[in-house]
Order: sequence, then structure tokens, then C-alpha cells
Amino acid sequence: MTETFRKPTAFVLGAEEKPKSRSRATPNIEFDVDEAAGELVSVPEIPPRTSRKFRWGFILISALSALFSLWAGLAITTLVENFFARSPLLGWLALGVAGLAAFAALAIIFREIWGLMRLRRIEQLQILSSRAINLDDKAASDETVTTLQTLYANRHDTKWGMSAFNDHGDDIMDPRDRVKLFDRLVMKPLDEESHRIIARRSRRVTLLTTVTPAAALDILFVAAQNLRMLRELAELYGGRPSTLSTLKLAKMVVAHLAVTGGLALSDNLIQHVVGKGLLGRLSARFGEGAVNGIMTSRIGLAARDVCRPIPQPDSKKESLTSLLRELVKFGNRPDAADITKA
Amino acid sequence: MVKLQSVLDSGRIAAGGLKDFAVGLVNPTLRLGVTGLSRSGKTVFITALVHALTKGARLPLFEAKGRITRAYLEPQPDDDLPRFSYEQHLAKLTADERTWPESTKRISQLRLTLEYEPRGIFARNFQSGKLHIDIVDYPGEWLLDLPLMKMTYQQWSAETITASQNEPRADIAKTWYQHLTSLNANSPANELEAVTAAELFTEYLAACRKDEVSLSSLPPGRFLMPGDMAGSPLLTFAPLEMSAGQEYPKGTLGELMERRYNSYVSKVVRPFFFGHFARLDRQIVLVDTLSALNAGTAAVQDLKNALTQIMSCFRMGAGSLLSELFGRKIDRILFAATKADLLHQTSHDRLENILRMIVDDAATRAEFSGAVIEVAAVSAIRATREAKVHQKGEDLPCIAGIPQKDEVVGNTTFDGEREAAIFPGDLPSTAQAALDGTLKGQLKFVRFRPPPMKDSAFPHIRLDRTLNFLLGDRFS
Repeated sequence: MTETFRKPTAFVLGAEEKPKSRSRATPNIEFDVDEAAGELVSVPEIPPRTSRKFRWGFILISALSALFSLWAGLAITTLVENFFARSPLLGWLALGVAGLAAFAALAIIFREIWGLMRLRRIEQLQILSSRAINLDDKAASDETVTTLQTLYANRHDTKWGMSAFNDHGDDIMDPRDRVKLFDRLVMKPLDEESHRIIARRSRRVTLLTTVTPAAALDILFVAAQNLRMLRELAELYGGRPSTLSTLKLAKMVVAHLAVTGGLALSDNLIQHVVGKGLLGRLSARFGEGAVNGIMTSRIGLAARDVCRPIPQPDSKKESLTSLLRELVKFGNRPDAADITKA
Repeated sequence: MVKLQSVLDSGRIAAGGLKDFAVGLVNPTLRLGVTGLSRSGKTVFITALVHALTKGARLPLFEAKGRITRAYLEPQPDDDLPRFSYEQHLAKLTADERTWPESTKRISQLRLTLEYEPRGIFARNFQSGKLHIDIVDYPGEWLLDLPLMKMTYQQWSAETITASQNEPRADIAKTWYQHLTSLNANSPANELEAVTAAELFTEYLAACRKDEVSLSSLPPGRFLMPGDMAGSPLLTFAPLEMSAGQEYPKGTLGELMERRYNSYVSKVVRPFFFGHFARLDRQIVLVDTLSALNAGTAAVQDLKNALTQIMSCFRMGAGSLLSELFGRKIDRILFAATKADLLHQTSHDRLENILRMIVDDAATRAEFSGAVIEVAAVSAIRATREAKVHQKGEDLPCIAGIPQKDEVVGNTTFDGEREAAIFPGDLPSTAQAALDGTLKGQLKFVRFRPPPMKDSAFPHIRLDRTLNFLLGDRFS
């Protein structure tokens, strides 16, 4: 036992005498105790990207796009020069328009990069918060909470939860419990909203598939609705959806679905019964619609796993069944009317 | 004989269980066992728990809190038990002088009723949405008696005498020991001798309990806290030196002592156990780890032994329909290191580690039987706030509050009026250090006066988590 202990000391407020000197503590190395209590949470599984091999296709595409931007640059320059040759006024006008276009292009690029960075940040938050919950790690918990607080600041839908959470800022609680408390007070209302989003999109998909005359068209509708749902979910949980980040998110969701797909065997069974069974007998189109709706719900649940900054334990995750219930009662819902807007 | 006794006991438990089951169908009741040796904070814990639930204190981690619509105290259900005087204890805590409740002298009971919104269609339509929580408060000393149920007089004598020969007991035991050696178990019984022996033995037990030694394993409990039995012949016995397995003829001192010991166990200990402990649903074990650490290695070891023996008397295990019918089992146990407010929160993990070490045997047994256990550093009423004192280029994590009068740290004696920031010393990173003597003189925990109320509630540490663990699942 080489530990040096600091002596007990008292400091009376307002008292004059100074306490006696005290031996300095030697720095101790403390190792993390890998102690897991309660139910563990896991970061949504996404298979690692394939290794970055040297790929000819990549070079071809890069070279072609470089060539294309060179050509566009050249074409625009010649165009502006031509205008200047005609009349300086037209030339300045063309230059101004070209400059505006360049500025807009820059802004778009910037937004895309920002969106991708935000996606990355949420991924890191998931790792951090699952560390806080599983290992009861104070540093991870503090960082998770402060990052989330900045992420959700200035939003009206988290205001109540955040102020309720901040009320308990001085309370002594375990790091794990603090993250869980944040989850309960701030994330839970968001979960309810995301439930509504997923249910609404699934209902639309079902209806659209049922009423679309051409089979090829509904593929387009389903894809568009799903992408919209992804954007909405990402935005709800603090992402900044832009084109590239939405596509990347879609890729992640599909990958996550592929990994967890095996677990959802029972859900598949529902799908068969609903799609090919009873509903299918009533109307083939409606059966297909139901299948597409269920698929959308599943994608939505997977997207929630990917977007949610604090991962949920399996027992607390929403099941497909609760969404299915919503799927079949769209008739009397007020938002069934907004199908026309979609 | 022993066999017959255990059959009788099982019958008693089963009969009690059937009665509980029938009553529980109409009025769901949860018997919460607040277990703890004397001065571990049972009374304060119960008072704080009732106050927090009835007055709607901030309990962020008690997840069912939002569904509880009303919490109130009901009239005492058992007519033969005094009611826990919640109002008086609360008055003491909130009076101008703010003092802690005095140590409990007799048993009392309280029924707290929670009305809540049940979940699920069945529950909403067919259940009352009411949960009665029955809590019993009793002198912690009496808990020490439970292990006596499994011991004969000879075993108990031998064990007590052996224990008294080790330091730090040997020193305290001197007077009683001298008298003990003058006694002969085979001599004719003499009431006066028995009384003197019991008196000296009681003095020895009481001395072992003082702050400097803080020993825990001091049965029989009624010797320290007789309740309404003071002076009764049931309490006039003491250990004797006996040769193992020898029978003492009628009329000898040995026979007298043995008879009294046996009636003590059957007339005092057993009714206490079967009346209050055999039918618990949930249990919280309050352990005053800090006082033991204050007093040193021997006290910690003694606390460990006492808790292990006491906990072996409880019926634990996962609940099932059968156990619902024939005697309930404790399916959730929380070991709480009380008075966590005497430490900065950065040390709570280490305190929990030390408690884990102390209750290791008991917890292992409980887990093996299928009960869920948890360990937490808890303070039902938090008397301090946290502070940092910057000294010699280093931040000392301190706690600040008003120490009770005449408490001492180093050269400072407190007057019970002024506030002070106290650094109680570093807890060891390995729990084993609490047993091997490296901590000698390194720790000093003082008692603080109760805090003033804030927003008409007491501040607490992890009371919400405790409630969530003990009661939370009954509301879902």
C-alpha cells in the first residue's frame, strides 16, 4: 500500500487560526473500473466501410468531374469575355451573375460539409453517451450533457425538458443517472414526435401505394417519402440534413437494417400476414400498400436508432407493433387529409 | 427438537403469507423493511421518505413520481403497534434548533398510501390504483438478536467469550471478565449473582458501543435497549464458561442461565422476527460505514460480521406465485451507505466500494437466491453542501455545514453555531484498505446539524434513486 492519504482538516468560516500544514498527495494512477450495472446500451451497429482500395472507377469519375469543372470554368470565362466584347455593361452583368452562382455553390458546399460534420458529431455522441451509461464514467457523462445542451439550445420543443433538467444541476447523482435523466426529460418528448413522424409517413406511403395507378410510380413515391422522413428525423434529433448527409444517413440506416434485420424475424411474419393474408385478400393494392407502410415504419425505427444521440437499451426501444396500430387507423385521423399535399 | 421448531416456523411464515396474500388482493401492500443497526439513520430515513413523498419533493430519478397523484398517511392498520411519530420527528428536524430525532426506544409502524394512475387497460379498470407501504421502525439494537435464533446458549456463551478476548474488546471487558471467572456454572443458582453478571455484561456491551470503538456485533440487543422490558428476568442472564455438551442439573446456575436465554429467544426474539421481518417484500439495509471507518479496522470488521449474521436470517429470493401464497420473500435489497453527505461526491464511489466489501457475504447470498441487489451512497437528509478550499496549490474537495456542538477535527472544536468547511480525509481506492489498518487516524467524519428546508423539502442525496429501485416497479 503506497497510497498517501490527505489528513482530515477543518476550516471554520470566520475563524482566525490557520490549519496546520498537510502532506501533499502524491499523484495516484487510478484505473477505470469496468463495471457494468443494469441494462447496457449499444451504439447502433453499422458495418465498417470497405477498405479504401485503389479503385480505377474512382479515378475515372474524379478525372471526368475535374474535366467537367475545367470545361465549365472555361465556358463561363469565354462567355463573360464575349459579353465584354459586345458591351462592357453586359459584361459586368454576366460577371455579377457568375459571381453570384459561385457564391451560391460555395454556400452549398459549406452547408453539405456542415451537415456531414453534424452527422459525425452525433455518431461520436452516441459512443460517448453509451460509455457514460455502461461504465458510469463521469467525464463522458459531463461531456455528453454539455454537448447535448448546446445542441438543443434555442429550440422550443426542448425548452421545457431542458429547464426541468437544469433544475437538477446541483443535485448529486451518478454520472449514469444524469445521462438517463437527460434522456427521460429531453429526449422522450422528441421520441414521441419521431413516433408521429414515422407514423405519418408510413400512412402516406400506404395510401399512396394503394391509390397510385401505375406500379412504377409508387416506387418513386415510397423513396421520396422515406427520404423526407429521414430528413425530418435527423432534424428532430439535432442533425443538419443536407443532400449529401441525407444520402449518407440513408446508407447508414440501410446498413443498420441489414445488421439488425435478423432480429426482426417476428416483424417479417407480421408483414406476410398483413400483406399477403387478410388485407391482400381484400384488395391486392391495399395489401401492397400495407407492406410498403410497414417497411417505411421499419426504416423509420432504424433511422431513429442512427439519429438518436443517446442510444436506448433494447427493452426501451419502440416496437414495430405500436406503429402498426397507427397504420390501420388512418381513416379518422385529421392528417389523413394532408395526403393531398404530399 | 430443532427440526420441530423449524417446521413450526415455516408454518408461521406460510400462515402469515396466506393472510397477506388475501389482504393484498384487495389492497396491494408493500412491506418495506428498513433494516439497520442502531444509529444508522432508520428514523431519519423513514421521516425523510415520508416527507419527500407526501410533500412532493424533487425526486428526478424516481420515474413513477409523475404518475403518483396523491400520497398520504393512513391510520395505523395494526392496533397492537404504536404509530411511528412522524410529526414529532419532523418537528424536531424543522424546529429552530434543528436537531436529529433521538434514538428509537420502541417499535412503531407507519402506513403510507400512494394513489397513482395505473398503466394498462386491465389495471385501469380493475385495480384501485392504490399502494400501501408499511414501514416499521424499531431500535437497531434489537436486530442483533436475530442470529441468536440459530444458536444454543452454550454456542452463544462460547462465541461471546472468545470475541471478548480480542482487542479492542479485551480491555473493556476486564471488569466483567473478572466476575465471570468467579462464577461456576455447576454451583447452585443464586439470583443475586445472575443479576450482577447481567449488569456487568450489559456495561461491557454498552462500553463497546462508544464512539471511539464503535463496535456493532453486541447481542443481545435488549440489553442495550430494553424497551419496556427493563429489569425483567428475561434480561437477567449472561454468558458462562461451560464445557461443551455438558448437561446442567436443575437448580444450578448454568441451568438457570440457559433457561433464561431460551425464553429470551422464544419470547422476545422470535415474536419480533416473525411479527416484522418474516414477511418483507423489499428491504433497504442502512449501514453507517463512516462511523465504523472513524473508529478503525476493528469496528469495520465487527460491522461486517454483524451484518453478515443478521442478513442470513432474512428470506430472500425472486418472487413467484407460490412465494406470494406461502410467505413472501425479499426480492430487492438495497445496501445503502448512509450519511453520504459527510463526504464530497467525488468520494462516493469509494464509499460504495467499501460498503460492497462490508456486505460482500450478505450480498452474494442474496444474489445467489435470486434477489436483485444494489449498493448506493445515500443521504436521506443532506446536511451539508459542497465546497472547494484552495490551499497550497491544490483544491481540497470539502463539505460545508454546521457541525454539532463539541465535535472535533484536528485542533478545532466546533461550537454548533458557526458553519465550517471540512475535509474529512481521503477514502482508499481499494476497499480492502479499510480492513488492513492503513487508514489509522487518516479519516474524521463529524456529525452535522440538520439543514434548513429548501422550497419546503429537505435536500437529499440519491433518495430518488433509492425509491426508484425499491418501489418503482410496483407502478408500472
